[in-house]
Amino acid sequence: MLRSIAFAITLVVFIVLLAYATAVGALGPLPPPHLRRLAVCVLNTTYNPALLRLGFSADAPEGVTAVVWDYRGLDTVFETVVLYGAIIGTLALYRQVLKSEERRESHSSERAEALRGGLSTVVKVATAVIVIAIGAVGAATGLHGQLTPGGGFQAGSILAVIPVVLLVVFSRDFLIRSGVRYARMVLLRNVGLIGIGLTALGLAVVATLIGVRGFVLQNQPHDGSPIGYPKWVLDVPSGGSLLFFNVFEMLAVVAGFTIVFLVLSLREDAAREEIRGEERGC
Amino acid sequence: MDAEFMRVAYMIVVLSIYVNIGVSLYAALAKPNLVKKIIALTILGDSVNTFIILAGYKLWRPGLILQPPVLTTFSPSSEALKQFIERSVDPIPQALVLTAIVINLAVTVFLATIALHMYRHFGTVNMDEVGRVKRRAIREEMV
Repeated sequence: MLRSIAFAITLVVFIVLLAYATAVGALGPLPPPHLRRLAVCVLNTTYNPALLRLGFSADAPEGVTAVVWDYRGLDTVFETVVLYGAIIGTLALYRQVLKSEERRESHSSERAEALRGGLSTVVKVATAVIVIAIGAVGAATGLHGQLTPGGGFQAGSILAVIPVVLLVVFSRDFLIRSGVRYARMVLLRNVGLIGIGLTALGLAVVATLIGVRGFVLQNQPHDGSPIGYPKWVLDVPSGGSLLFFNVFEMLAVVAGFTIVFLVLSLREDAAREEIRGEERGC
Repeated sequence: MDAEFMRVAYMIVVLSIYVNIGVSLYAALAKPNLVKKIIALTILGDSVNTFIILAGYKLWRPGLILQPPVLTTFSPSSEALKQFIERSVDPIPQALVLTAIVINLAVTVFLATIALHMYRHFGTVNMDEVGRVKRRAIREEMV
């Protein structure tokens, strides 16, 4: 009882303090009457052909993607590290049982047999159509990330819906028989992560080889460095390195999430096998 | 619809987000159920993200054109770019929130797996009960 009262009082004090701080202007005028100067600077240099000639533009029509992968690219690289830290942490618990379970499943049943499980035929057919649509939306989000709102992470998240839907509508068995295996997903994830690394280091390495200055996570040529990523792909702006980052991030995210879903959908008794013999705590 | 009305409406939304943050913090700290804690954490994260996005918007004033900031050509004139900046909101909070969402998701995935693991281990996701079981085990060991 005393605990609840203490919590309630703390809660009210917390909210009142926050509201008071905001009311007296601790966060500046809210909502701001004009754009902040930093925002104007970013918006002005995101896509500006006149400034690009002077070496002051990211050359990407989508401002947020440009901020994420160009203006503060290093931050996003470490964000990716955190994401994969969490996924690796998840895998560390169940990797062994996931592998052995997969070996058993891929030997035990035929593809036709795996197809028999799951929900009704109507749902399956509808899902088969929807999955293609989800794939198209995901790919468009990723490949157009430098032009319209979207980007690698969003595209990866959209595409990661596909294995979830397949898991529910068909079966885990079906997913594994279709080739969505642990080793392949890890390979795809590694391709994505190595791609992000190479794109980040690319210009610095090339610059060193040809004897000019270049920077890690550099996108377009600027004051200190004359080289940059290509500005156009076919007839649309590529955003320089942004297109590469988006595509590789998309691969890495979809593969990473698929592995997590495979772990979370493990058979209960197989998963319990993994913790057998551990201290039960009682 | 005038600017003062918009400011008051904005402040009400900000206050409701603060209440949301407070309640979800309470749930994350006080509720013994791990699943409820995870749900509270996601609500906390989403509330903070909404607040940051909201802080990036600007006050509407008479004469401000409410149209999406879209460049319609790949070689815009300086006038078009000026219009673009005039219509835009701050992109930096949005980029920040994008990062925060990813981190939030990573933490949630990890916590969900840990909670599942704990359930398999102890047969419950109630932290009070887990504590009781552990205490009993330690006492038995000492005896």
